[in-house]
Amino acid sequence: MEVLFWLSFVVTLLGAAMMITQKHAVYALLGLLIAFVGSAGVFLALDAPFIAVSQILIYAGALAVMFLFVLMFTDTRTDEDQGLPGAVGSRAVWDPAQARPPKKRKKDEPRPPLLSGLVMPKPMAVVVSLALLVCMVAVIVKLPASYNSFGELPSVDGAVIAAGEAAPNYDTGLRRSVKQPDGSSLEVPRHVGYGDTAAVSHTIFEGFPLAFEVVSLLIFAALLGAVLLARRHLTSVPGAQEAGKEQEHA
Amino acid sequence: MLEPKVVLFLASVLFCCGVYGVLSRKHLIMMLMSLELMLNAINIMLVTFSRHWAGKGAGLIGAHSGQFFTLMVMAVAAAEVGIGLAIIVAIFRRKHTADADAAADLKG
Repeated sequence: MEVLFWLSFVVTLLGAAMMITQKHAVYALLGLLIAFVGSAGVFLALDAPFIAVSQILIYAGALAVMFLFVLMFTDTRTDEDQGLPGAVGSRAVWDPAQARPPKKRKKDEPRPPLLSGLVMPKPMAVVVSLALLVCMVAVIVKLPASYNSFGELPSVDGAVIAAGEAAPNYDTGLRRSVKQPDGSSLEVPRHVGYGDTAAVSHTIFEGFPLAFEVVSLLIFAALLGAVLLARRHLTSVPGAQEAGKEQEHA
Repeated sequence: MLEPKVVLFLASVLFCCGVYGVLSRKHLIMMLMSLELMLNAINIMLVTFSRHWAGKGAGLIGAHSGQFFTLMVMAVAAAEVGIGLAIIVAIFRRKHTADADAAADLKG
């Protein structure tokens, strides 16, 4: 666990650093992806395997693909990028007629400087985020001594553990039957371990069922909203001439 | 020995990276990505506190509520990114750029 945590610690920080320093948007997205995978490792080290798997599936799987899709869809070119195709951050208006293919480096041409793919740090942003970091670290340092180590997970005495089952920690209040060697079955309380999928599902459906339903409604609304917002004829309102022409050609 | 304070420190650094990204980038997609990094940092904090209270003897639902909130944050983040990216695509169709300064006026 310790090794996994420190490995994920380094990977996550490197990914975040890559994300905020890379000029090229796709490289920045790659850094974000690395940070997500690293945080999945942190979740694993914190005994939350279900969260770790959801993190990989939702963030690293679906969200990253969505970002990549829209990055390909919109234009990331700029003219303050010192000749780096695909860099972001200018207010240049993209014109297909003026779009030039990325320059290929000739053999005898010198390599671009090593740091040319990185964005220059913005002083005010550095100051503000560092000040925030100092505040947060001050709070963390002042936490009471109970935060110096994670406590032991609880265990229940006298519970029946089937072969290959994790140590039981929490009583769910449900019962299950266990086959005895002589063919009869015995009713025993059903226990779950910390961070098990079963434990998380008990929390969702016994602890917070209303929140779960509301979130499903929210996602449904977001689905409809995304379809509505990205529809093509939104652009053909009067006044948007270029968009209207584009519509005629399409 | 894994310490809650170290994990919380990692999460705060991640959060500040996200803040820096939102403040320093002008591209809308980059800003949305930095926002995701901040939400991710909060998820790490929630799971840390969940594990902390599990070690202090919280019950089944109490010990896992941090993990539950993490799942909620993930779902809300997914919805938010879906809407945000749709808005960015709509802005790009109108303005032919995904720059944040291009969307500064109310009149389309």
